[in-house]
Amino acid sequence: MLWKDKYELGVPVIDAQHKELFRRVESFLQALRSEVSWDEKIPKINETLEFMKGYVVEHFHDEEEYQRSINYPGYQAHKQIHDGMVNYVLEVSKQYDQSNNNEDLMQQFGGRLMAWLINHVAAEDQRIADYAIEKGVRGNER
Amino acid sequence: MKDKLHKALIDATHNVFELMFNISEISDHPTEDFECDDEVDIAIGIVGDLEGEVIYRFPISTSLNMVKIMSGMEFEEVDAFVTSAISEIANIISGNVATALSDSDIKCDILPPMQLELNENKEYEIETSRCISTTIGDICLDVRLNKAF
Repeated sequence: MLWKDKYELGVPVIDAQHKELFRRVESFLQALRSEVSWDEKIPKINETLEFMKGYVVEHFHDEEEYQRSINYPGYQAHKQIHDGMVNYVLEVSKQYDQSNNNEDLMQQFGGRLMAWLINHVAAEDQRIADYAIEKGVRGNER
Repeated sequence: MKDKLHKALIDATHNVFELMFNISEISDHPTEDFECDDEVDIAIGIVGDLEGEVIYRFPISTSLNMVKIMSGMEFEEVDAFVTSAISEIANIISGNVATALSDSDIKCDILPPMQLELNENKEYEIETSRCISTTIGDICLDVRLNKAF
């Protein structure tokens, strides 16, 4: 399982979204790594890729709104990291379409996305949670 | 300089392994002890006050163990997915090293990871290698840098 309880930050509004994000990425990785041939995987890959892309953008947007709502001082730097990842996702997606569903491209994308996401949640997002807990605003539901 | 770099690399590797793999016990020792038949070599270019590269040498077994812990899935060979995940880990460690060095007023940026193409003829002012041992396997770090000032 991709999600581990130790990734929980103690801020309910962020934790709920992270669990959903990990669920969508895991669904994508399971489709990517399933035992069937690449041609058989393509419809499921394309479907989960679209779902996941949409949720990555939506989650980043919601998380940035949350940061603004608690006046998180690292907002700009964090947004830059999000923007970098969104650009990477969109660029790979474009290359994937242009390559007529190249498998290596999608395997590379899956590996990087997984490692990036785990580090981002465990390291970068922990700083938001530390700030929210310190300021006593962790239950700040929108 | 060499000591600062060495400490930054060991600390960054330790932090990333603790956060991402739940491994808190790591030790470093000379590379003479590093035994490996087959490995994934990832080079991270460094530009700024220091210029050169850090080469992360991940044995196959270490690479597969790392990806297995992250994904919860079984992997039997190094493919594009595994190489990409391992490259991102090298990228994350290097980013942490660059941040730590900036606290010592050494300003560096890192370049995207690439699978290694050795340029053995080039000479470097700073060349150091350390082997890091963890409970999921060893990693060897080769540092080859020139001062840009």
